[in-house]
Amino acid sequence: MKNTTKIAGVGIFLLIVFVMVPWAIAASGRWDFYYTLTSVALLSIASAGVWLTFYIGRINIGQGAYTLAGGYVSAVLVTQAGVNFWLTLPLAGLFCAALSVLIGLPILRLRGVYFAMITLVLTEVARLTALALPITQGAKGITSIPLPRELSLFGMTLIPDFARLENPKLAFYLMAVILMIASYAALYRIVNSRLGHLCRSLQQNEELASSIGVNISYLRVLAYAISSFYGGIAGASFVAISQSIYPSSFQVADSVNFMLNCFLGGLGFVFGPMLGTLVLYFGWDLLFTTGRYQLLIYSSLLIALMMLLPNGLLSLNQLRGKGMRK
Amino acid sequence: MEQILANGLYLGAQYALIALGLTLIFSLMNVLNFAHGQMYVLGGFVTYTVVSQLGMPFIVGLLASAVTLAVVGGLIERYLFRTVIRRSHREESTMLLAAGIAFFLDAVILLAFGEKQRGVPKIINGVFNWDFRLIMPYDRILIGALAIALIAAFILFMQYSTAGRAMRALAQDRVAAQLMGVDVNRYSTLGFALGAMLAGLVGGLLVTITGINLGMGGPTSIKAFMMIMIGGAGVISGAIAGGFILGMMESVGLTVLAAYGDITYLAIFVLLMVFLAFRPQGLMGKPWG
Amino acid sequence: MKRRALLISTALVAVASLSFSGSAFAENPVLKIGFVGVTSGPAAAWGTSNQRSMETRAAWINETGGVDIGGTVYNVEIVAFDDQKDPKRAIAGMEKMAQEGIHYVVGPNVDDGAAAVRPVAEQNGIIYFPYAFPKSLYQAPASNAVLGMVANYQSGPAIYKYLIEKNGIKKVAFVAANESDPLSQRDGGVAAAKELGLEVVSDSITYQVDTTDFTPVLLPAIKAQPDLLVLSGVSPANAPQLIRSARELGYEGLISTETAQDAGVLQEGAGELANGFISVGGASTPELASDQMREFVDRYTKMFGEYNDESNTKVYALEYILETLKANPAAITDVEAFKTTMDTFEAPNPYMTGDAKLTYVGTSSFGQKRQLSVPLVVNEYKDGGFMTLFVAQVD
Repeated sequence: MKNTTKIAGVGIFLLIVFVMVPWAIAASGRWDFYYTLTSVALLSIASAGVWLTFYIGRINIGQGAYTLAGGYVSAVLVTQAGVNFWLTLPLAGLFCAALSVLIGLPILRLRGVYFAMITLVLTEVARLTALALPITQGAKGITSIPLPRELSLFGMTLIPDFARLENPKLAFYLMAVILMIASYAALYRIVNSRLGHLCRSLQQNEELASSIGVNISYLRVLAYAISSFYGGIAGASFVAISQSIYPSSFQVADSVNFMLNCFLGGLGFVFGPMLGTLVLYFGWDLLFTTGRYQLLIYSSLLIALMMLLPNGLLSLNQLRGKGMRK
Repeated sequence: MEQILANGLYLGAQYALIALGLTLIFSLMNVLNFAHGQMYVLGGFVTYTVVSQLGMPFIVGLLASAVTLAVVGGLIERYLFRTVIRRSHREESTMLLAAGIAFFLDAVILLAFGEKQRGVPKIINGVFNWDFRLIMPYDRILIGALAIALIAAFILFMQYSTAGRAMRALAQDRVAAQLMGVDVNRYSTLGFALGAMLAGLVGGLLVTITGINLGMGGPTSIKAFMMIMIGGAGVISGAIAGGFILGMMESVGLTVLAAYGDITYLAIFVLLMVFLAFRPQGLMGKPWG
Repeated sequence: MKRRALLISTALVAVASLSFSGSAFAENPVLKIGFVGVTSGPAAAWGTSNQRSMETRAAWINETGGVDIGGTVYNVEIVAFDDQKDPKRAIAGMEKMAQEGIHYVVGPNVDDGAAAVRPVAEQNGIIYFPYAFPKSLYQAPASNAVLGMVANYQSGPAIYKYLIEKNGIKKVAFVAANESDPLSQRDGGVAAAKELGLEVVSDSITYQVDTTDFTPVLLPAIKAQPDLLVLSGVSPANAPQLIRSARELGYEGLISTETAQDAGVLQEGAGELANGFISVGGASTPELASDQMREFVDRYTKMFGEYNDESNTKVYALEYILETLKANPAAITDVEAFKTTMDTFEAPNPYMTGDAKLTYVGTSSFGQKRQLSVPLVVNEYKDGGFMTLFVAQVD
């Protein structure tokens, strides 16, 4: 029973993102929503990473550092080494994962607000590093990055050349959504595997977990590396869309937003960050017509949401469930 | 050398005062107040309005900032944080609320005071110049002295007044304090108001020197986070130490590393991360805050 | 629980309805012009002065009956988008503009945003007018961006040359915020100064934009004893503090910048210490301003309570767009027509006295006409106002 509802849910979701959304956009003529939804999908990948660090009991406000690093890896490889974008995508993720192991080994010993604040500083460190390094071209940024090339295997075209497509917006949307689905599927698997159970034990009590033989430092670094991998992929994808990257492409505000997405969606739900990103990003976009009161309304709604649903949007469902059981 | 030390001291005094408010709020309620910088900005704008627009004396402006922020802080604690803390499963959820409040204050400040940089005319003219070895304008000396006096007053208040003692008890052990008959709600509100007031006071003090603009909020919060990380979160002496250390680091770093320019702050930040890796609880913090 | 769900659904409905609400203009057809830039956060002053200039001018045009393009009278509507200085948002903003059927957009205000919106603008046939200086934005193959002001690599050399001849400066020091735009401008300035034979005594000092005390920042620069201290790409918020710190440290040489500043802000932040500060301004010095410029300032002040001197430059973009459309009405929907017209376009400059012209320039810097010709006015601050030091032309 439970499994069938799950499969049905996934089916409906796939139907919405692959059929309904493109249909609705074509019908309403709101082509700008493609970019908005692409952004939501990519940002929610980065947020999913942050969520995983929440899952091991760490507040991560440093994801912006890895999205920026991932973006630069892809940009540098594409422009200076002529590597195909599709190859740089996993490379960016792997680079960030490796980097996060180096950084994570010392800082993952920190907990609570200390970890939160040090990761906040990390984003600023990434920006300043990008400004100072020669390979990133410092303040000038990297611009005029070509669109993703064709990806073929044994002469068979797997992904067409984006520059020759009639509608690159749709292509980017599909790319982002597929990446998002893959990421969340992987996240779901992780959470429901043995690894996920161990992570949960970490979240509750590290000492206890350690005493029953869980290798906590290995587990922490592993979770953080996966998280950063997500960040790197999201960053690299964004660079392909904007065809440029600057040290300020991802900043502290982005890191904070990634974290807020998780809170808003609900820390207890795998799909929380996805919903949180959708609401936060789309909400801002929709309020565009309110002009100078945009930020005021946006922040008031945010505070109101927090007052009503302090455990995230998805807890609404839970509340209702509880009410029914009564 | 004298100049570098004096700069560091001056910077440290203002930083410490900002960090004190943040750490007080954190120690009482375990809330990382993302809106602290915005409160500082609001304080600056209130003083600006009173002094520059209404033509009142500076001290009135400072008092107005203190009162406004205390009220705002008290209301925020009473009606927003208390509810969310009661209802949420994980206390980190208050971060989203704090960020929401930060955005909200940003919006209010933009609508009420505009987007321009604002400043109050110098309160005292003249520059103290000791043979070009130490140059310090008089208004800077005054503001530095005021900041140190406020820090001293705050410490005395926390040490000897009933309210101060109650808040310290709360910070140490919430449950025990409650059992001992401390009115937790009342002192949480008071603590938050006091923390916000400190932020407002710094804003009011600094508007005469650095001026104020609505963009200063976020970066100020981040700097304040760094200070309490150095000193140890939730510890008053730690906040003061953190403020002065960061002030000195900037002053010394900017002079020593001037030739390498672009990397001064990078070096400061990286140093901080290395330091915390070795001493996660900061200089004086309780482990795991 | 029901009440809570009800509250939430009401909120959602309210939000949703916002997305479908539009504004209604009555009589004339509406010509929409876009603005994508930063109107909140630390750099809010830049975008706000842009947006308000456009809104003031649009309201003025509509009040006097609209603008006549090719026999049709249009009302002008400004569609503004706050990108929060985030390049990702800027792309979304440009997409919004394309969605609204807009072909002419003013902004973004910073380098990264201007570079990020390029693909969207080129795909959707949008000409945009950034206030960012990287040459790659304006050089071929890029063709849809038009620089809205005088670039630092154009004004910098002019200022240095003037000061060499007039004040005999020899040594120059540069200070910049550690962000993309100011650092790029610093590098441009350093190169220009060296080319003119100036000795650059310090060019590596940077500061965080949120610095509250500039004394330690400036100390090493002052010790190098320059004749001229250049504040590269300084934001209006930081300028008064930097000037004040430099003067209080006993610096007696000249201070200059290549960005536009606001006299009121300098007055409040640095008082008489700012006297002699050299910056680039627009066309509203008393000697240059035409009656129309004065009326614009009046209307702006009435509409928003307070004028911003940066708008002296920013008034031009909308004027150029409308005048070029008048010259070639086909360009309303066809930006290629606009581009062709740009090469030959010429109209009287309503904001300057005399027979100044509105033309597109930039051939010497970009190899194609991708810059608005606004007078390069170099100002000196004196007791709460700007005095014109000299006026030059780009190209």
